[in-house]
Amino acid sequence: MVRLATEVGSLQLKNPILAASGTFGYGLDLLDFCPPEALGAVVTKGLSPKPRAGNPTPRIVETPAGMINSIGLQNIGVEAFCTDVLPTLRQRKACVVVNVFGETEEEYATVIERLQREEGIAAYELNVSCPNVHKGGMEFGHDPKLLRSLVAALRPLTQRPLWVKLSPNAPSPLAVAEAAVTAGADALTLVNTFRALSVNARTRRPSIATGFGGLSGPAIKPLALRLVWEVHRAIPQAPLVGIGGIMSGTDAVEFLLAGASAVQVGTATFRNPNACLTVLAELEAFCQQEGVEDVRELVGGLVWP
Amino acid sequence: MDARVDQKAVLVARSQLSPRCFALDLVCPRPLPAQPGQFVMVGVSATSDPLLRRPFSVAGVMPTENGAQFQLLVKEVGKVTAMLRHLPLGSEVGVLGPLGRGFSLDSCGPHPVLVAGGIGLPPVLFAARQLQKQGVSFDLFYGAASEPELLLRSEIQKVVSGDAVFCTDDGSFGESVFVTDLLRKRWKSRYSHLLACGPNPMLHAVARLAREKGVAAELSLEEPMACGVGVCLGCVVKLADGTYAPSCQKGPVFRASELAEGW
Ligand SMILES: Cc1cc2nc3c(=O)[nH]c(=O)nc-3n(C[C@H](O)[C@H](O)[C@H](O)COP(=O)(O)OP(=O)(O)OC[C@H]3O[C@@H](n4cnc5c(N)ncnc54)[C@H](O)[C@@H]3O)c2cc1C
Ligand SMILES: Cc1cc2nc3c(=O)[nH]c(=O)nc-3n(C[C@H](O)[C@H](O)[C@H](O)COP(=O)(O)O)c2cc1C
Ligand code: FES
Repeated sequence: MVRLATEVGSLQLKNPILAASGTFGYGLDLLDFCPPEALGAVVTKGLSPKPRAGNPTPRIVETPAGMINSIGLQNIGVEAFCTDVLPTLRQRKACVVVNVFGETEEEYATVIERLQREEGIAAYELNVSCPNVHKGGMEFGHDPKLLRSLVAALRPLTQRPLWVKLSPNAPSPLAVAEAAVTAGADALTLVNTFRALSVNARTRRPSIATGFGGLSGPAIKPLALRLVWEVHRAIPQAPLVGIGGIMSGTDAVEFLLAGASAVQVGTATFRNPNACLTVLAELEAFCQQEGVEDVRELVGGLVWP
Repeated sequence: MDARVDQKAVLVARSQLSPRCFALDLVCPRPLPAQPGQFVMVGVSATSDPLLRRPFSVAGVMPTENGAQFQLLVKEVGKVTAMLRHLPLGSEVGVLGPLGRGFSLDSCGPHPVLVAGGIGLPPVLFAARQLQKQGVSFDLFYGAASEPELLLRSEIQKVVSGDAVFCTDDGSFGESVFVTDLLRKRWKSRYSHLLACGPNPMLHAVARLAREKGVAAELSLEEPMACGVGVCLGCVVKLADGTYAPSCQKGPVFRASELAEGW
């Protein structure tokens, strides 16, 4: 028997596999393939104070071993989430991490204040790293000063864990990570998508409507691993949630070794709607084969040359 | 939605229909209760490149003892469609479906008219097969770039109870005209409903014609998709109320009246 239970800071998780924001709907869309309560946690699509329409189309294009998206945070808004979705998630006893998005500090606060009135939320993940919206998001994620002020402003609003999801596009991801932790973040999720461009040679135009988009999938795994390890080395006390191109149990192990306490599976769900569960099963099988009795043994276990 | 499953289908037959188009017959172990207009997400890759599955409309399906045999009509345009063209018979492919919302064949009145453009044929052919079974009389208009690209003509003739009208852009078969212009010319007042699939400019013309004639139109759209199951929001279509709806869930068949101008 492998012990899969783990923790991210103070938050206990039944296993280290989470569904990533924006790739699993609000947690109830794939019940027939991957019930949310089977996972360590589900991270919701980014929620804003009001519903958002999102970006024009085309929004996605496949690239070698990856995809570029520019969804623009289309979402149903925090109110509809609380009334239409959360009660069922609660009933199913799913561990719910709500991904929060705002264009201003006040908007982030509005979303959290509304969610504070609800039970059944395990943590907040602040999306300060979306490459696909003009305002908010990435601005906070690129500037340590802005981010420190944002986290400090939100910190008093809740006792629940505050995770900050970092942008790999920041001029200095390390400086941003340090700012988040200093201001009171309980954990860091890394990483969001990499700003990228796909060109259609025939039309001489970008493949997606907004020009730039965010690259995800196996193509970014080595880059994401590098960032997780760098941040883990620099701030070893900060709990990390690793993400970027995880398709298999071994991929998950690699992120744990680089210092992540848990991992999120994103784009893989698009290829296989039960990807989170196969990654979990493969992780367990890996531990069995390798004689790992407690998955937490792996965390930060990378042997650096 | 609950009927959808992810299963392995075995490729049992392939026939080349034109230089770039081919039909695939696949057998799957579990039921695939697809309605005309619904689609499946097909995965042929064991590696991360190509990464995602591709959507294909079901062209026809027959239940077998426990599972189903179904047909896809495919045009080779890139990586996955090239793989499908060269896949050895007996190979397994991942098939997730049936997905999406199909045509509402029960409410299309006494004499619907079906319109297909190019590789938009599969869902229209499936609808035709179903209407024939239901004993509904209908006409079918089918246009393609040139004669070789007009697929399965004799089969279509057999399935269509009313008129089957063919045309090509270059005049190599039938009239040299866009299929929507031909439909306008030959419009019959008894047409009760319009069902169509094809390239977007054709569908825009179909929607305009339907509005002029005061007839409801259902259009099967082809948006690029990543997940096919409503979680990525990559495949959205703009609706008349200004919101974006995932076409893999709310579509791929939409009523023309639901869609934003020029969507
Ligand atoms: C609901 C739905 C039903 C479909 N049914 C059929 C069908 O029955 N038969 C069939 O042959 N095709 C169908 N398509 C289109 C089919 O999905 C694409 O041709 C396929 O994804 C191309 O994959 P590829 O890897 O070969 O091409 P890629 O290598 O991914 O791309 C090659 C080229 O094809 C273009 N392309 C990619 N996706 C699409 C798309 N969705 N529509 C048009 N062009 C595209 C790309 O822009 C690129 O120029 C359907 C699409 C949808 C959304
Ligand atoms: C279509 C799509 C939508 C996404 N939406 C969000 C979002 O709303 N909020 C967020 O924090 N991250 C979002 N992401 C980023 C993912 O959660 C994840 O960080 C990224 O895709 C890298 O992981 P992956 O390679 O496993 O997909 C989205 C990614 C994709 C592909
Ligand atoms: S293809 Fe992912 S939402 Fe439609």
